[in-house]
Amino acid sequence: MTASHQSPADAPRTFDVRVLRQDGPGGASYWERHRVPYEHDMNVISVLQRIAAQSRSVEGDEVAPVAWECCCLEEVCGSCTMLVNGKVRQACTALVDRLLVDEPEGIELRPMGKFPVVRDLVVERQRMFRALEKVRAWIDVDGYYDAGPGPRQSPEDQEVAYPLSQCMSCGCCLEACPQYTKVELTRDPGESDADFQARQDQTYDSAFVGAHAISQAVLFNSHPTGTYNAGKRLDALTQEGGIQICGNAQNCVAVCPKEIPLTTSIAKAGRQTTWHQLKKWFDQ
Amino acid sequence: MTRNEFIIRRLHSLSGLVPVGAYMTVHLLTNASVLDSPATFQRNVNQIHSLGSVLWVVEWLFIFLPLLFHAVLGVVIIRGGLPNVSSYPLSGNVRYSLQRASGMVAFFFIMWHVFHMHGWFHFDGYLKSVAEPLGGAQFKPYNAASSAAQALRSGAVQVLYAIGVLSCVFHLANGIWTMGITWGVWVSPAAQRRANYASIVFGVAMSIVGLGALNGMSRVDVEKARQIEDQIYDSLKGSKTPEELERDQHKRDLHRTADAEHPTAEESPTADLVLPDTVPRR
Ligand code: SF4
Ligand code: SF4
Ligand code: FES
Repeated sequence: MTASHQSPADAPRTFDVRVLRQDGPGGASYWERHRVPYEHDMNVISVLQRIAAQSRSVEGDEVAPVAWECCCLEEVCGSCTMLVNGKVRQACTALVDRLLVDEPEGIELRPMGKFPVVRDLVVERQRMFRALEKVRAWIDVDGYYDAGPGPRQSPEDQEVAYPLSQCMSCGCCLEACPQYTKVELTRDPGESDADFQARQDQTYDSAFVGAHAISQAVLFNSHPTGTYNAGKRLDALTQEGGIQICGNAQNCVAVCPKEIPLTTSIAKAGRQTTWHQLKKWFDQ
Repeated sequence: MTRNEFIIRRLHSLSGLVPVGAYMTVHLLTNASVLDSPATFQRNVNQIHSLGSVLWVVEWLFIFLPLLFHAVLGVVIIRGGLPNVSSYPLSGNVRYSLQRASGMVAFFFIMWHVFHMHGWFHFDGYLKSVAEPLGGAQFKPYNAASSAAQALRSGAVQVLYAIGVLSCVFHLANGIWTMGITWGVWVSPAAQRRANYASIVFGVAMSIVGLGALNGMSRVDVEKARQIEDQIYDSLKGSKTPEELERDQHKRDLHRTADAEHPTAEESPTADLVLPDTVPRR
């Protein structure tokens, strides 16, 4: 199923790319149009490379190269996530031939809308990682002593856990979520790095954690060692901005490129938090 | 508020089912009993009103306050989200938006409906001088079907009621489905799908009940129903104290509608009831 099979027989000589640019954090955004010579089997990253190389808009003006992020080029790192023709996805696996079949007019690129823009298509996804910290999305095994081999995990449990472990923190699930709204802070004049960071962490903590973090909490709660800290993760999920913010729109599961069963995780976390809360009430 | 966000949201979720949703289900089923006969409906209403003076406590505690809580918090929740159906036209997302839209419609409908039929408050002076002149408090519990039928006579009112009832039913049926996910009752995609079918069946059934009730109510023969209702009331009169009889007056349709085709109390065949002097004659 290579894309070249789908490339239009009468492939265009050039195609246009509309990019929503922004020169820096908090700045105004503006559209810019680029014309790129068509080649077979391009993806959006190779398109962005051409755009950077020519650094010239359709009008012929010399412009600064459009900034973007990428790393693995095989949809496992998530860094190249952006809105391609209005849909959130990885630029590296967005194939031009297929995009042009759906939208012969050209390609539209926008940065993700739920995260602060650093520049052009580069966004700051710290909030995602803060959420992973909040729900303790790890297993506490560090120590000075050899604790021996950990408990075994049954193959059945592994099969449930593996898909969840594929999350690459790309943020697609959050971009598509109607309950995940953008939080962007600007540094006050005279505010120190540490103060700003603290204020930002606090703000992030009170906003929705998001589907990815809920799913990671479920993953680590299901782990035979991770389960020792299940209570702490569930506490985090019932704090402000926790699972209760989810409105069950189920967009997250529909857009996740790794096809992680996010809504199953959300329902599981719903059940776990229900029992956790009841236990807390009646055990105290 | 923010510290107890989890509990508050869960209470919001719960209050939608019990008591609000449960009440609505009973309410629509009771109303649909008019399809059997106005007399059946009247007997059902009488049963509810046999609670007498504690009725308003029950109404406020188990219906109005939970409903207001659900509605007010619902508005807070709506304001916290950012619907994006145009970018992601997925069925779950459409339902997410519809849940919010139907909630708003349901809220305005219910506020109007409660005023239209019930008047919001029971104080006599208020009912006579504010609610009734504004077209409210039209439902008379001891003339249940006939007064409801009169209140629903206009086509426009019927259309608004149909929209309102369908919004309420959608909101409840879809809400039951999302509630099951929220509380972790249906977890796997297969279970969520089965629950979805069940909620659709419930929604369709309740739509039929609700629209059936509306239709049945609006087709009631007002004259005939009134005679039957008055007979039923007369049969109850014996067991009532004079104070109760007096209190009952605002719960009765004393047949003094401006509508010329309807006989006034004096001409009506059942007009032989004695009106206490305290009842203002209009
Ligand atoms: S859950 Fe899916 S969409 Fe969300 S961050 Fe992980 S890989 Fe991306
Ligand atoms: S199911 Fe919840 S987390 Fe997923 S998109 Fe909907 S509101 Fe967001
Ligand atoms: S570059 Fe890693 S996902 Fe696209």
